[in-house]
Amino acid sequence: MKNIFALLLLFNLAIVSAQVDRTVMPEPGPSPEINLGSPKEFTLPNGLQVLVVEDAKLPRITLSLDIDNPPILEGDKAGVSTLTSNLLGQGSVNIPKDAFYEEVDFMGARLNIGISGAFATGLSKYSERIMELMAEAAISPNFTQEALELEKTKLKDNLKSSTKDVGFIATRVSSALAYGKKHPKGEFTTAETVDNVTLEDIKSFYSNRFVPANAYLIVSGDITFEEAREMAGKYFSKWKKASPLNLSYSTPKDVQYTQINFIDMPNAVQSEIRVQNLIDLKLGDKDYFPALLANYILGGGGDARLFQVLREEKGYTYGAYSGARPSKYGASLFRAQASVRNEVTDSAVVAFLDVINDFKNNPVSQKELDIAKAKYSGNFIMSLEDEERVAELALNIKQNELPANFYENYLEQINKVTVEDISDAAQRLLQPQNMRIVIAGKGSEVLEALEKMTYNGKKLPVKYFNAEGDPAEKPDYTAPPADNVSKKEILQKYIKAIGGTEKLQSISTMYASASTSIQGMTLDIEFKKGNGKYLMDTKMQGNSISKQVYDGEKGFTFAQGQKIEATGKAAEEMAKSAIIFPELKWLNDESVVVDRVDMVEGKQAYVLKVSDDNYSFYDTESGLKIKQESSTQMGPNTIKSTLLLSDYREVEGVKVPFSMQQNVGPQSFDLEVTEVKFNEDFQVSDFE
Amino acid sequence: MKKTILSLFFLATGISMTAQEVAFEEYDLDNGLHVILHQDNSAPVVTTSVMYHVGGKDREDGRTGFAHFFEHLLFEGTENIEKGKWFEIVSSRGGNNNANTSNDRTYYYETFPSNNLKLGLWLESERMLHPVIGQDGVDTQNEVVKEERRSSYDNRPYGNLLSAVTENLFKIHPYKDPNIGYMEDLDAATLEEFQAYFKKYYVPNNAVLVVAGDIEVEETKKMIQDYFGPIPSGEPVVRNFPEEAPISQTIRATYYDKNIQLPALINAYRTPGFGHKDAYVLNMISTYLSDGRSSKLYKKLVDDQKQALQVAAFNLEQEDYGIYLVFALPLGDTSLETLEQEIEEEIQALRTDLISEKEFQKLQNKFEADFISSNSSIQGIANSLARYHMLYGDTNLINSQIDIYRKITREDIQNVAIKYLMPQQKAVIEYLPEQNQ
Repeated sequence: MKNIFALLLLFNLAIVSAQVDRTVMPEPGPSPEINLGSPKEFTLPNGLQVLVVEDAKLPRITLSLDIDNPPILEGDKAGVSTLTSNLLGQGSVNIPKDAFYEEVDFMGARLNIGISGAFATGLSKYSERIMELMAEAAISPNFTQEALELEKTKLKDNLKSSTKDVGFIATRVSSALAYGKKHPKGEFTTAETVDNVTLEDIKSFYSNRFVPANAYLIVSGDITFEEAREMAGKYFSKWKKASPLNLSYSTPKDVQYTQINFIDMPNAVQSEIRVQNLIDLKLGDKDYFPALLANYILGGGGDARLFQVLREEKGYTYGAYSGARPSKYGASLFRAQASVRNEVTDSAVVAFLDVINDFKNNPVSQKELDIAKAKYSGNFIMSLEDEERVAELALNIKQNELPANFYENYLEQINKVTVEDISDAAQRLLQPQNMRIVIAGKGSEVLEALEKMTYNGKKLPVKYFNAEGDPAEKPDYTAPPADNVSKKEILQKYIKAIGGTEKLQSISTMYASASTSIQGMTLDIEFKKGNGKYLMDTKMQGNSISKQVYDGEKGFTFAQGQKIEATGKAAEEMAKSAIIFPELKWLNDESVVVDRVDMVEGKQAYVLKVSDDNYSFYDTESGLKIKQESSTQMGPNTIKSTLLLSDYREVEGVKVPFSMQQNVGPQSFDLEVTEVKFNEDFQVSDFE
Repeated sequence: MKKTILSLFFLATGISMTAQEVAFEEYDLDNGLHVILHQDNSAPVVTTSVMYHVGGKDREDGRTGFAHFFEHLLFEGTENIEKGKWFEIVSSRGGNNNANTSNDRTYYYETFPSNNLKLGLWLESERMLHPVIGQDGVDTQNEVVKEERRSSYDNRPYGNLLSAVTENLFKIHPYKDPNIGYMEDLDAATLEEFQAYFKKYYVPNNAVLVVAGDIEVEETKKMIQDYFGPIPSGEPVVRNFPEEAPISQTIRATYYDKNIQLPALINAYRTPGFGHKDAYVLNMISTYLSDGRSSKLYKKLVDDQKQALQVAAFNLEQEDYGIYLVFALPLGDTSLETLEQEIEEEIQALRTDLISEKEFQKLQNKFEADFISSNSSIQGIANSLARYHMLYGDTNLINSQIDIYRKITREDIQNVAIKYLMPQQKAVIEYLPEQNQ
C-alpha cells in the first residue's frame, strides 16, 4: 500500500490516571484522521478501464471485473440473464470445462464469472495464469445446448425450491407490485419463461451485454502497476469494443392510497411484511447524505427506531429494518420490513405506520442525529482497513459521475447534516399516504384481523394477490367441506379415535393436573369435572390464587379473596365445562353444524360450529380434536382465544391431549398436563 | 472530526511478507481472566472481544438454550449502562458490535475506530462484572428469541435440517438438542435460574479477553488491569457430559418440512471433536468431496451425471464431537436412494483406495491458499486468537495450524475414512416436503 493512501493518525499523550471510575462512560481519544489515496489507472483501447491497488501485505491477488450496464427487461424470456451467468465460467472454446475447473482448483484459486462481471482470487505466484483464465472464459465462452439444458433444469428446480419460501415470495411480489411486472426491477423468472430461452438467446444476450464499454477491472494485491498493465493488455485486449443497448422504461408510480396487499401462504408461521413506496435518489444528489442518515435513524440497525419499537419494546419480531438504496437508473424503493408472528400481524402494521408517520412529522433529536453521524463516520474509517475498498470507492466515483473528492469530503458531508436536513429527507423518502404494505402470511390466521383493522380511524383496504403478483380472489375459508362429510361422521370419528362411545359413556368424573409458566412463575392448575360439576383451581407454590367453580346450579369465581357469582353467558360457559365429552351430546344437538374445512398448524381440519362464538376443529386424518376457538366480549372489544391440543396419550383406555397451547390476543401459554385420572370420587366440598 | 496538535504518520513501507505471522502476547490476570493482545497499527481499528467457555451444551435437561438466551440478555444493560442503551453507545462512537453462540462457546465483540479502545474495554468489563438480569429483560428477550426461532428455523426452508441431524446422531450428549433450545424450557425457566447460570459460567476464569488492532501494548495492559482486574473470579467450571455409544447400525430417519418443495438427502456421521487430528483430516475430505467444481461429488453428481442440484460435504467442528455431513438436493426425477448410492460409492472409494497424488497436491494447494487469506481482518484475527486459546488450548495455532495440514498424508485420509465414514456409522435422513396443504 505504499502510495495508495497515507494514514494520518492522531493521538493523545495524556495518559489515564491510576483509578478508573467505571460509573462514567470513557471519553473517546482524538479521532483518527484519514487521507484517501487513489488507485493507479489506465484504459485499454477497447474501453476497459483498469484500476490497480498495490498491496503486498499478503502474497495474494484479487481481480474484480465490473460491467456496469443499465437494467434490461427480459420479458417472456426472463431468466436469460441468470442462465447466461451460469453458463459463463464453464471453460472456453479453447479449454474444455473439466480441464478448466481442474486447473482453477489445483491453484487453490476461486474464479466466478457472470453476465455483469467476474471475480477471482488466488496466490500471487499464479497471478498471470488466473488473469489469463478469467479473460479466456469471459471473452471466449463456449455455450452448448447440453449445458444450457442442464442449467435450465437446475434453474427451474431452484425456482421450485423457493415456492414455499414466505420471505422470498413477499420480496418478489412487493417488487413486482412496486415497479410493475413489465419493468426490469419488477419482473421475475418463472418455469415458463425459462423454457422460452434458446441457445441463440443466450449468445445474443451475451454479445449485447458482455462488452468493455462500461467495464472496469480492479486488480489489487501483491502485484505492481507495471505488471498489472502488461497482463491486462495481454489478456483483455482481444475483448472486442462494443457498447450495450440503453433502453428506457415507463416510470412506476405509487398507489393512490395506502393499502395492504396480501399473499396467502398457508405454510407461514410468521407474516413477512414489506412497507414501501418509490423514491428517486442518486448517490450524487445534494440530499444523499441526509437521506442516508435519515434512513439510518429510522431503520438502519439495532439502535434505530423500527428495531427499538418492533423488537425491543413490543417483541413482535427478531428484527425490523428499513432501506433506501440510491439508484442511478430511475426509481428505487424505500422499504421497511420484518417477519412477525401470525398473531401480531395487524399490530405490527400499526407499529410500522406509527413509527414512519412519527418520523416524517416530527424532527429527530440532535442526539439521534449525532449517533447516526458517528456510526457512519466510524464505519467509513474502519472500512478502509480493507485495501480493496480504495478501488471500490474510486469505482463508485466513476460509475456515478461523482466529484473526484466525493469520498475525501465524505466525513465532512456527513458532519454537515442538520436536523432540518433530516426532516427534508424524510419528506422525500416517506409517503405514508401512498404506501403498499405487502404481507405474505397465513390468511386463515391473520386475515380476519387485517380486514377489520383501521388506522387513524380509516380502514386500510386489503387487496389480494397470488405468489406471481397477479390480483387474486380473497381466500375463502368458509367454503363447505369438499367431500361433504356430515357432522355425524366427524363426531363419530373423533369419539372412536379417543376410545369409543361405550368407553366414554362409562366415565363419570375426570381429574387432570397441568402446569404452565407465565413470566418465569410456574402455575399449577387442577381440573375436576363430572356429574354436572366443574372446578378449575390455579395455584402458585401450593397456594390457590384463583378458582372457577360450578356446583351444578351456580358458577363462582374466587380471586384475591373475593367470591363472585357468575351470571349470564359466563355461567352458561361454566355449566358447559362440566361436561367431560360434549361431543357425545352434540351428535343430537341440531344447533351444532359443520362449518368449513380449515388448516391448523399445517394440518387439515373439519370445523364444527358449536355456537356463534365457539368452534371445534378435528384433524381430517386422525379424527382427533386439535383446536378450540372462542370469542368473548370485553367491553367494546371482542377477544378471540384459541386452544391448541396435541400430544394425545392413552389414559385408562381414553386418549387425552397432554399438551395445550392457549392463545389470547398476542399472549400465549403452554400447558403441560401432568396427570389424568378417571372416575375418582370427588368431595362435595371441592365445589364450594 | 477533532483537530489535534500531535500527529503521527504511519507509512507502510512496502515490506513484502510471504507468511502472515500474527504476533501476539498473552497472560493471565489474578482473577484468572486470560488476555491476548495483538498489535497492528496499519489501520485505525481496534477490536475488543470476550469469549466465554459456555455454549448450548452447558445445560440441564429441561433447561436448554440458556447460553444463546444470554447472548441476548447480556445486551440488556449493566449497573452503569441503562437498559436499551448498549447499541446506542456503540453506535455513538462509530462502532459495530455483535455476539454469537455455538454449542461450545459464546463470543461478544465490538470493533471501533481505535480512539475508543477504552470504551470497548469498559463495555466488556461491565458485562462481565455486573449485568442487570431482571424479569423485564428476560420477558422481552424471551419473545425475541421465539421470533428468532421462527425466522431461523420454522419459517425458513430447510431450517430444521440441523436439528433433524443432531436428534439422530446424539442420544444422551447435549448436542442432541438445538442450540437455541426448546421454547418451553425458556418459558419455564425462573429468574433465579438465569442468575445462577450467569454466576456459574460468566466469570473471568472461564473467559478470554482479546484486544487486537491499533493499540499500544503497555497502555492497553494498564487499562485492562483497571477495568477487569477488580472482577471477582468464580468457581472452576467442571463438565462431565455423558459419552455416546458408537453408532453400529445405519440410522434411517425421515423429517418433514412444510416450507420446501424439493426433498434433501443428508448422510451424517458422528466424528471426533476439533482438537483431534482426525478432525483436520475430515476437513480435507470435505474439500476433496465438494469444494470447487472439480471436486469429486460436484463433478460427478452435478456436472457429469446431472443427478443433483447441489451437493456439499461439511465437517461441523465441535468440542466434544464433530458432525460430518454430506448434503444433496436431487435434480429432476433422481431418487434419494440413487443419490445415497452415488455418494456412498465415492466414500467407499476413499476407504478402499488412496486418493491420487495429483488430487492430494490440489488439496494441499487449496489449504495453503486459504491459510494465506485467513487472517486478513482485525476482527477475524481477534476471533481466531480467542478460539484457538479457549477451545484448542494453543493460541499459536493461528500461525501453525497449516503445519498440521501439511503433515497429513494420503494414508491418513484413507484411515480416517475407514475409521469414521463406514456405512453402518451413518445416519441417513430423508428431509421431505410436507405435502399436506
